[in-house]
Amino acid sequence: MIILFVALPLVVAGILPLVGKVSRRVVPDLLANAALLFLLVYAAVTGRHLIAGGPVLQQLSWFGEPVAIRLALDGFSLFMLLAIALVGLAACLFSIDYMEHYGAKANYYALFLIMVAGMNGLVLATDLFSVYLFMEVAAVASYALVAFGLGQDELEAAFKYLMLSVVATAFILASVAVIFGMTGSLEFAAVAKALQELNAGAALGVASAFFLVGFGLKAALIPFHAWLPDAHPSAPAPISAVLSGLLIKVSGIYAMTRIFLNVFGLTPALSTVLMSLGTLSMVVAAFLALGQKDMKRMLAYSSISQVGYIVLGIGIGTPLGIAGGLFHLFNHALAKGLLFLTSGSVQQATGTRNLDEMGGLAKRMPITAATNLVGALSIVGVPPLNGFWSKLVIIIALIQAGHPVFALIAVLTSVLTLWYFLLMQRKAFFGKLNEKWAAVKEAPFWMTAATVLLAVLCVGIGILFSSTVTTWIQPAADVLADGVHAVIGSWGF
Amino acid sequence: MIVQTALLIGLVLFSVLAILLRDLLKSAISLAAASLLLGIIFFRMNAPYAGVFEISVVAGLITVLFILTIALTKAGDEVRESRAVNWVFPLFFIVFIIIDALVMKGLLRKIPALASGAETGTFGDVLWKGRTFDLVGQIAVILAGVFAVLALFRKRDKHD
Repeated sequence: MIILFVALPLVVAGILPLVGKVSRRVVPDLLANAALLFLLVYAAVTGRHLIAGGPVLQQLSWFGEPVAIRLALDGFSLFMLLAIALVGLAACLFSIDYMEHYGAKANYYALFLIMVAGMNGLVLATDLFSVYLFMEVAAVASYALVAFGLGQDELEAAFKYLMLSVVATAFILASVAVIFGMTGSLEFAAVAKALQELNAGAALGVASAFFLVGFGLKAALIPFHAWLPDAHPSAPAPISAVLSGLLIKVSGIYAMTRIFLNVFGLTPALSTVLMSLGTLSMVVAAFLALGQKDMKRMLAYSSISQVGYIVLGIGIGTPLGIAGGLFHLFNHALAKGLLFLTSGSVQQATGTRNLDEMGGLAKRMPITAATNLVGALSIVGVPPLNGFWSKLVIIIALIQAGHPVFALIAVLTSVLTLWYFLLMQRKAFFGKLNEKWAAVKEAPFWMTAATVLLAVLCVGIGILFSSTVTTWIQPAADVLADGVHAVIGSWGF
Repeated sequence: MIVQTALLIGLVLFSVLAILLRDLLKSAISLAAASLLLGIIFFRMNAPYAGVFEISVVAGLITVLFILTIALTKAGDEVRESRAVNWVFPLFFIVFIIIDALVMKGLLRKIPALASGAETGTFGDVLWKGRTFDLVGQIAVILAGVFAVLALFRKRDKHD
C-alpha cells in the first residue's frame, strides 16, 4: 500500500482544520506528528522488505476495477521517502513549541502535510506529468508556509519565490510537452524506450536544456538561485528546515536525476554540464555565505553551496560518484535541517537573526549551541561526522573518474565552508555573552528534542556510515547507475 | 494557413497588450481576448475539449473573477513602477521572437515526431481512466489553495 505515502498526509491534512475547531493545539500536534511518525516507521521498517525483490509497481484498483494510479517504489524513491519522513518529523516536532505564537496551528500542519504529500507523490510518480503536478502541490503549500508569519518581508519573499517557481514550472512543462510530442507518451518506461529508438539529438537537447533550467531553479543552483536566500530565511524555522533540507532536493535534484539518469540516460555532455553547474554553485555560494550577517541567510547560501556538491557527485555519473552525491544529499538534509531548527531556537530566544548582535549564547543555550556545532561540523566535513564520509566519497569518485581539478576545488570549498561556519559559531555562540541576552533561556522541550534527534543522527550515521551506505544509499545509487535500464526493463505496466 | 497565422499573431498581440497595458481592466480583457483566440486555435487543431475549457474557464470564468476583483478594489495611491519595464520587456520579447524563429526553423524538421492520434478516447476516458493519479494531485492543489487562503487571511493574533 505505497499509496499511503500520499493518501495519509492528504487525509490528515483534510481533517486537521475541522479538528482544529475542537482542539486548537494538542490534537493537531498529535495528529500531524503521528502521521509523520507512521510514514517514517513504514518507510524504515517495511520499505526495505517491499523492494527486496526489485522495484514495487502498484496499480490501484477501485472496487475490483483497475484505475490509472500507478506508483513505483525502488531503492532511490524509498531512500527519498525515508529522508522526507525523517526531516519532516523533526521539523514537525519542532513546530509543537515553535509555532505556538503564530496562531492557526491546525492550518499550518495541514499545509505542512500537503507539502509532504506533494513530495512523496513526486517521488512515487511514474510519469512526467505527475512529476510536474506533485511538484506544484508541494510548491503551492510551501508558498503559503513561507508567508505564514504575514510580515512584510515574509510576504515579499513568498511572492518572489512564487514568481521564480512559476518560471521554473513553465520550463518544466514546456519540456514535458516536447517529450510528449516526440514520444507520444509520458510514462517514464515508455519515454525511455521511445527515446532509445528515436535518435532525437537536437530536440532532446532542447528538452534537456529546459529541464535543466526548470529543475535548476527548483534546486536553486547558481545562476538560478536568486529566490532562495530570500525565501528560506523568511519562512518559520521548521519550514526553512524542510525547504532547505528536503524541498529543493526532492523537486530539484530528485526529479532532475530521475529524469536525466533513468529516462534520458546521462550523456557525457550532460555530465559535464551538471558537474560544471555543481562546481559553480559550490564555490560562488560559499563566497556569498561568507559575507552574510543574517544567520539564516548564511545557512541559505550554504544550502546552495552544498547542493552544488550533490550535483557534482551525481553528475560524475560513476556508481561511486552517484552514491557519494546521494549520501551527501541525505547528510545535508539532516544537518541543514538541524542548523535551521537551531537558528529558529536562537531567533525565538533573542528576537534577532543578526549575527553581530548575538554573542556568547552557548552559556545560556548549551544544548542549542552544541547541536548547532554538530550540524555545522557535519556540513563542513569534520570526521567522524556523517558529512565527512559523503564528501570523502565524492572527492575519491572525482579522482577515480579522472577529474583531479574538480576534486581540488571541492576540498578548497570545504575550507571556505569551515570558515563561514566558524564565523557563525564565534559570533553567535562563543565569545563574551552580550548583556542583552543575560535572561535568555534554553529553547522549550520539543524544540530541543527535535534538534537533539537530528544531532544524534548526524553523529550516529557518521559512526555507522558503512551500514547506512549498504542499507540505504547503495540500493538508491544502483538504480541511478543502472541508467535507462532501471526503468525500461522493470517499470512497464 | 492565413487564418491560422492571423490567429497566432492576434494571440501574441493580445498577450503582449495584457502585460503592457497600465489599466488593469483593459489588461484583463486583453487576456480574455488572447485566450479566446487560443481556444479557437485549439478547435482548429482538433482538440475540442482543450478549446472548450480554454474558452469557458480561462476566457470566461477567470476573466469574470478578475473583473469582479478589480471592481472591488479602490484606486489608492499611485504605485511607482520601474520605467525599465517599458524597454526591457519589448527588448526581451524581440530577442525571444528571433531566437524562437531560428531555433524552431532548424528544429522542426529534426523532431522525429511519432504519429499519434490527436485525441484518443473520450474526455471522460482520458480523465478517469488515463490520468487518475493527476486527480489526486488536483485535489491536493485545491486543498493547498484553500488552506493557503485560510492561513494568509486569518485574523492576526494578539502578539502581532
